[in-house]
Amino acid sequence: MTDASSALLPVASAGATWALLGRELRGRLPATAATLAVGLLAAGASVLSIYQLGVLVDELRADSPPAVLVPIGATIAATAVVAGIGTGLSTYLISRLGEQLLADLRERTVARVLALPVTTLERAGTGDLLARVGADVATIKKAVTDVVPTVLSSVLLSVLTVVGMAGIDWRFGLVGLVAVPLYVVALRWYLPRSAPAYARERVAESDRSQHLVESMLGRTTVHAYRLEAQRLAGIDEASARVRDISVSVFALFTRFVGRVNRAEFVGLTAIVVAGYLLVRDGAVQVGGAAAAALLFHRLFTPIGSMLFSFDDVQEAGAALARLVGVLDVADAPVATAVLPAVSAIEVDGVRFSYDGRTEVLHGIDLRVAPGERVALVGSTGAGKSTLAAIMAGLLTPAAGSARIGGIPAVELRRDQVVIISQETHVFAGPLLEDLRLGRPDATGEQVMVALRTVGAGDWVAALPDGLATEVGAGGHDLTAAQAGQLALARVVLADPPVAILDEATAEAGSLGARDLEAAAAAATAGRTTVIVAHRLTQAAAADRVVVLEHGRIVEQGGHVELVAAGGRYAQLWAAWQSRVQVGEVER
Amino acid sequence: MAGSSVLLRSVTRNLRRLAIGTGLISLHQVCEAGVPILIGVGIDRAVAPGDLVALVWWVVALALLFTALTLCYRFGARQLMVALAEEGYRLRDELAAKILDPRGIRTEKRAGELLSISSSDADNVSYLLDYIPRIAGAVTATVVSAVTLLLIDVTLGLAVLLGTPLVLVGLQFAAPLITRRVEDQQEVAGQATALATDLVQGLRPLRGLGAEPAAARRYRAVSRASLAAALRAARTQGGYLAASTTCSGLLACAVALLAGWFALTGRIGLGELITVIGLAQFLLEPMALLAIVPSWVAEARASANRVALVLDAESVLPPASAPVPPGPLHLADVRYGPLAGVDLTVAPGEFVGVVAYRLADGEALVRLLSGRVDPAEYTGTVRLGDTELPTLDPAYARAHLLVEPHRTDLFTGTVAANLGVPRSVEVRAAALTASAADQVVDEHPDGLDLVLTERGASLSGGQRQRLALARALAAQAPVLVLHDPTTAVDAVTEHAIAQGVRALRGGDRSTLVITSSPALLAVTDRVVVLDEGRVTAEGRHAELSEVDAVYCLAVLR
Repeated sequence: MTDASSALLPVASAGATWALLGRELRGRLPATAATLAVGLLAAGASVLSIYQLGVLVDELRADSPPAVLVPIGATIAATAVVAGIGTGLSTYLISRLGEQLLADLRERTVARVLALPVTTLERAGTGDLLARVGADVATIKKAVTDVVPTVLSSVLLSVLTVVGMAGIDWRFGLVGLVAVPLYVVALRWYLPRSAPAYARERVAESDRSQHLVESMLGRTTVHAYRLEAQRLAGIDEASARVRDISVSVFALFTRFVGRVNRAEFVGLTAIVVAGYLLVRDGAVQVGGAAAAALLFHRLFTPIGSMLFSFDDVQEAGAALARLVGVLDVADAPVATAVLPAVSAIEVDGVRFSYDGRTEVLHGIDLRVAPGERVALVGSTGAGKSTLAAIMAGLLTPAAGSARIGGIPAVELRRDQVVIISQETHVFAGPLLEDLRLGRPDATGEQVMVALRTVGAGDWVAALPDGLATEVGAGGHDLTAAQAGQLALARVVLADPPVAILDEATAEAGSLGARDLEAAAAAATAGRTTVIVAHRLTQAAAADRVVVLEHGRIVEQGGHVELVAAGGRYAQLWAAWQSRVQVGEVER
Repeated sequence: MAGSSVLLRSVTRNLRRLAIGTGLISLHQVCEAGVPILIGVGIDRAVAPGDLVALVWWVVALALLFTALTLCYRFGARQLMVALAEEGYRLRDELAAKILDPRGIRTEKRAGELLSISSSDADNVSYLLDYIPRIAGAVTATVVSAVTLLLIDVTLGLAVLLGTPLVLVGLQFAAPLITRRVEDQQEVAGQATALATDLVQGLRPLRGLGAEPAAARRYRAVSRASLAAALRAARTQGGYLAASTTCSGLLACAVALLAGWFALTGRIGLGELITVIGLAQFLLEPMALLAIVPSWVAEARASANRVALVLDAESVLPPASAPVPPGPLHLADVRYGPLAGVDLTVAPGEFVGVVAYRLADGEALVRLLSGRVDPAEYTGTVRLGDTELPTLDPAYARAHLLVEPHRTDLFTGTVAANLGVPRSVEVRAAALTASAADQVVDEHPDGLDLVLTERGASLSGGQRQRLALARALAAQAPVLVLHDPTTAVDAVTEHAIAQGVRALRGGDRSTLVITSSPALLAVTDRVVVLDEGRVTAEGRHAELSEVDAVYCLAVLR
C-alpha cells in the first residue's frame, strides 16, 4: 500500500538529463556527425536554389538573353535533387539516431526498474513505475518519431537560411535575426502559460479516463448497485472539464499564433525595407533583395512547426527526465552467492520496521532445518509476510540476521530462494514464456513435467494452443487457482533449494484451495520450505508450526503437541475446526 | 445508424460553428496566399524602382494583410475548437450512457474495446470538424493561387495547376506502403510498452522467483524488434520524403525556369516572376494537405463505424416495467450454459447455501441471477414472487435482488462513497462490523474518509473483499446473492463474518451464498448441492456433512 504523499522515484534535473543526452551522442560520434553533415547539406542545397532565383532576377534586370537560363536551371535542378534526397536521408538519420538512443534508454530503464530495491519499490508504488516504463516511454517515442526530425531539420534550415541571407549581404543576415527576439518573446509568453494549462488538461484527461475505465470494467457492479446515473454524472462532469480546459488552452494557443504572425510580419517588413535601402545604395542587386525575401518567407512553415511542437519537445523532455531519474536510483547490491543443495535457515534476533518508527518484528529467532517444512501461523498483521520476505532476502532486517546455508539471505543470488508472494500474476504472452521465467532454457517437455507435478497438466493440454496459448492480459483467461498452479510450476522449474510460500492459496476459492495445497506440497517436496498458512490444514501437514503474534513468536512445535498445549494455536485450530464441526456453530 | 450517419450528425449538429469557422479559415488561407503575391509586388514597385512612397504603402498593405490573416485564424480556429471539443464530449456521453444502459447492450466487444471506443474513437470522429475547414482552406488557397497564376499567364498557370496534382498523385502511390509500415511499427511499439507494464505489474512475483534478468532479456528482445520496425518505417518515410521533396523541388524549379524564360522574353514582368516563384512554393502546402486528407477521413470513418456499432447495439434485456412483487426467489428447470435443469427456491427470510462441485456451475448461477443475461440464452424460469425476472424493470429488480459478484469492483473515492447511501449511519456501521470491514476502516486514520485509488488498488485483496461485502450488506436488499465472499480473509475473520452476515440478514430478508466455506455453510438454513449442472443433494450443512462423503470432501478440510 502506498501513501500518496510518500516520496516517488526521483526525477533527473535538466542538467543531468542533458548530460546523459550528451554522453549518449558522444558515444555515437560517427553517427551523430554524419546526421549533422547530411542535415546541413540538405539545408544548404535548398538555400542555394533560392539564391539562384535571385541571380535569375538580376539577369532579368540586366536584360540578359534567355540562354542564361541554362546554367541557372542546371544549378537549381541539381540543388533541388540534392536538397530532396538530403532531406529524406537526414530525416531518416535523425530518426535512426533517436530511435536507437531511445531503445537503449528504455531497455536500461526497464532493467533498472526490475532490479530496484524492494524498499524503494514499496515506497514508490507500482503506479509511478508503470507510468515511467509505459506512458513516459511512449511520449518520448512519439516525439522521436513525429517531432524531433521536423524540429531538427527546421533548426538547420533556419540557421542556414540566415547564413544564406548574410551571403547575399551581411546586413541581410543581421536583419534576418531581427525576427528572432520576437519569436523568443512569443515562446516565452506562451510556454509558462501553456505548460500549467497542459498539465491541468492531462490531469483532467486522466481523471476522465479513470471514470471511464472504472465504469466500463466495473459494469457488473454498476448495474448491480444501480449506479448508472451516478457514474454517468461523474463521466459527464470529468468529460466536460476536459472540454472546457481544452478550449481555454487552445484559445491561448491562438494568441501565441498571433504573436508568431507578428514576428513574421516584422521580419518580412524589415527584410524588404533593408532590401529597399541596400538596393538604393547599390549594395545589392534587386535579385538579392528578392531572394532574401523569398528565403525568409519560406521559413514561415518550418519555424511554425518548430515552435508549435515545442510543447511536445518539452513534454518529451519531462518524460526523459523521469526515465533518467530511474537510472539515477542506486542499484540494489548485486547478490551472487549460491547455496549448497542442502541449506538450513537461521534467523537470529531479527527486528524490522517499514517506516523506521513502528516496529513490526520484535526480535525473531528461528531455525529451519534442511528439508524441513515449517508453517508460519498467526492472524492478519502478525508479521508473517514480513518475516517471509526477510528470509527470502527481499528485505534487510533492521537488527539481527537472517542466514541461509550460513550466508546472509540478502547476499544470495535472487534465484536461490524462491518466494511466492500473495500477488499472483499471469505474464502476458504465450504460456510457455510465462513458465520459462522460472528457467529460461527449459524445454517444452520439462515445462509439461513441471505442470503435471502441480496438477496443471490436464487443463494446459486442453488449452486451444497448448503451451503456445496466449495468456494474461488480453489472452486466455485463467482462474485464480490456475494462476496459482502456474506460480508453483515456475518454482518447480527454478528448482531452488529453499522455497517460501506466502498465502499462495488464498484467492483460489475454497474448492480450488485444496488442489493448490496438494500442488504446493508437490512443488516443495525435498526443499527447505516455509509456508505462511491461513488454512490450518497446511499447518497441520507441516513438520513444525510457528505461531506469530504482534511481531513475536509466541509458540512453536508440532501440530499435535501445540493443539494439546491449549495455547494460541489451539485457539486458532478450534476456530478452524468450528468450520467443520457439525452443529457446533451457534446462530 | 451507420458510420457515415454518425459523421453526418457531427456536422449537422455543429453546423453554425463549423460554417463560421470554415469560412474564416478559408479567408485565412486567402491571406496566406496573398503574402507571396505581395512580396512580388513590393520588390517590383518599391525595391526595384527605389520608390519610398510605394514602400510605405506596401508596408501598410502587408500590415493589413497580416492583421486579417491572424484575426481570421484566431476566431475561426476557436469556433472550430469549441465545436470539436463539444462534439467529443457529446459523443462520449452518448457512448457511456449506451454502454452503461441498465438493460445491457448486445456486443461482441470486450470492456477494453468499449473503453477505447469511448475514448479515442469518439475523439477521432470529432476531428472531422477539424478536417473539413482544413480541406476548405486548402481548396480556397489552391483556387486563389490558380486564379492569380492564370491571370499572370495562362500557360504558366496551367503548368502549375496540372503539374502539382500530377506530382502529388504520383506520390500517393507510396501512401499505402507508408501507412502499413507505420502501423506495423505502432503495433510493435505497443507490444513493447504492454510487455514493460505487464512485467512491472508482475514485479513482486518476478522478484520472488529471481527472474528479473530473464524478464529484462525478454523485454530487450521485444524492444529490439520494435526498434527494427521503427527503423523500417523511418526508412520508408525518409525515402518518401526524399522522393516528394525532390519532385516538388523539381516542379518548383521547372515553374521558376519557365517563368524566368517568359520574363527574359518579356512576356511577364519582374514582380510577376517573383510572385510566380513564391506561389509555386506556397501551393505545395495546400496541395500536400489535400493529398493526405483522404487517409484522415478514412480514419475518422473507421472510428465512426465503431462508434455506430455501439450506439446502434440492441439491448440485451427486453423492455420491461413491471414492479417487483414480494415473494420467494424461484428457479424452475433452468438450463443455461453448464446448468442443466436447476430447480431452486429461496423463501423470504431464508438463508440458503449453494455448493457447486464444478466452479462453472456456481459462476453460471451467479451470472443468471445478476439479471444481465439475455432471456434468449436460457430456458426455464427465474421468478421473483410470481413475476419472471426478464419482465421486471431492471432497476427495480436489482434493488430487490442484489448480486455481489466474486470479482468485485470498487471505485475511486472515499470508503464512505463506495459504501453507497445506506438507510442510516447505524445500518452502515452494522454492515461494516458484520463484514469485519470495520477493521479496514479503523486501521486507517482517515477512517471512512480514506480515499481509494483507481479500482481500490490501494487496498489488499482481503480488504477489498470485506469492503465489497459491507457494501452489499449496507444495501439491505430483500434478496442478496453472495459468491465466495470470504476467500481472501483468514479463518478467524471468516468465522466472524459468517456470524455477522447471518445476524444481519434476519427478518424477511433472503440470502443465497454460493460457497464451499464451511464457516458460511454452517450458518445457513439449508444447503443445495449443484453437480453436473443440476441439484443433486439438499439438506442442512450438519446432516450433509455426516451422511454425504462427496460433500464432506468438497467442503470439509
